[in-house]
Amino acid sequence: MIFSFAILTILYLVFLSVLAYLGVGYIPIILIASAMILAQWYFSDKIVLWSSKAKVVSREEEQDLHEMIERIVARNNLPKPKIAIIETSMPNAFATGRGRKSSVVAVTRGLINILDREELEGVIAHELTHIRNRDALILTLASLFSTVAWYLMQFGFYGGLYGGGYGYGDRDRNNGGVMLIILLVAMLTWVVSFLIIRAISRYREFAADRGSAQMTGKPVKLANALLKISGTMKRIPSKDLREVEGLNAFFIVPAISGSTIGNLFSTHPPVEKRVQKLMEMEASMS
Amino acid sequence: MNFFNRFRKSHLLSKSASESIFALSSAYITLETKLGLKNTGRSAISLKAVDGMYFLTMKEEIRQFLDASRTDFDLTYRILIDTFGYLWVIIEGKNMEDQLAGVTAIGDIVYERGFADKLLATVFEFSNTSDNLCSIQYLIYNYRRNSFYPFIPLGQKNRDTEQEMKILSAVDQELRLEKDMTNWYPLWDLPL
Repeated sequence: MIFSFAILTILYLVFLSVLAYLGVGYIPIILIASAMILAQWYFSDKIVLWSSKAKVVSREEEQDLHEMIERIVARNNLPKPKIAIIETSMPNAFATGRGRKSSVVAVTRGLINILDREELEGVIAHELTHIRNRDALILTLASLFSTVAWYLMQFGFYGGLYGGGYGYGDRDRNNGGVMLIILLVAMLTWVVSFLIIRAISRYREFAADRGSAQMTGKPVKLANALLKISGTMKRIPSKDLREVEGLNAFFIVPAISGSTIGNLFSTHPPVEKRVQKLMEMEASMS
Repeated sequence: MNFFNRFRKSHLLSKSASESIFALSSAYITLETKLGLKNTGRSAISLKAVDGMYFLTMKEEIRQFLDASRTDFDLTYRILIDTFGYLWVIIEGKNMEDQLAGVTAIGDIVYERGFADKLLATVFEFSNTSDNLCSIQYLIYNYRRNSFYPFIPLGQKNRDTEQEMKILSAVDQELRLEKDMTNWYPLWDLPL
């Protein structure tokens, strides 16, 4: 965690000093981009709730869910978030909001239906840990510079285009070269910070799993819930070993599952890894 | 592949299988202390039955071995063939160590007779003393994968995945376990 933040910071410092060295007046752009990101962060809960069609539910509407969450927050000394439900059969959950006080935990109807009580508690505790750790803020800040880089990339592209159009003197040709450098640096900054943000995000997921395990004391329940949500549960076979042995083909297991590159880009660690870590916690608790 | 290489390969395979299985001599204590699982004294080794003289000879050799070692190991045994056409040697003994010695010795005989590729699994039976139901739970050792995995049938071809994962995490350090759950093939209606 500290490592990726350090790299991120160094990266941004390098990026900014390159800008400073080139003496370009990009400060207005940075300010505008920052303002946009802050606005995005400030309205994030509303944007997310609106785009996911989540409906905030009152205590009367969903008494069981409210009571469950009240129990968890009371035990762990956390403020109670707003609770929202998304009417879809896809099992999922998320947390959003600016800070600990004004946050929302949303769950889908499908999640409530397929999980049993303790598994649902595990998932909700996971989301509550995201809120407690202020993960939304951390990721917004982390993506701040990558967004700035993205704007610069576009700006540099158009700038380069126009710069080339007027290019007849020495000064202008030189200017075109500068644009190209900015474009390249911005591009590189964006790509690398994108990957680092993904890494941070995956780390936050592990942290939230751990937090959930500590809150509920039952990591195995969250592991079970993850397996159910991901559909891995269905992949545990029910066909008899003696039947598949007859086919004899299944033992040739590819060494690489082909998902290693995909892992770099994903925001969540693979379910198998998360389950494995949860089971290690379970083992250390019992 | 000449005869010598073939023999050596089978010897090495049998050694690694025996080593993996013998790791249970400490892991079963962990299962008892952590999860309250007690070995029922029953375990079994199974292999695909084939027609022919050599297979019958091997079967007879296993029988002779078990008869002869009855005094040393304190084991009783049954031999049967199930509906899938698999030969089961089911042994029963008070000590886990005796059972482990028994199944690995049978495995060695199978290897020596050249039927290593017919070996399916070795199964150890446990009962849960912590719940009132005394549910029966199994550890399956798969010869091809050289690894163990838990199997807890619930009837109607359902299984208790949650408890299976608990077993997995309890003996994670001690046994070679199958991490890929898609290979946790069940063995329904075990003849143990």
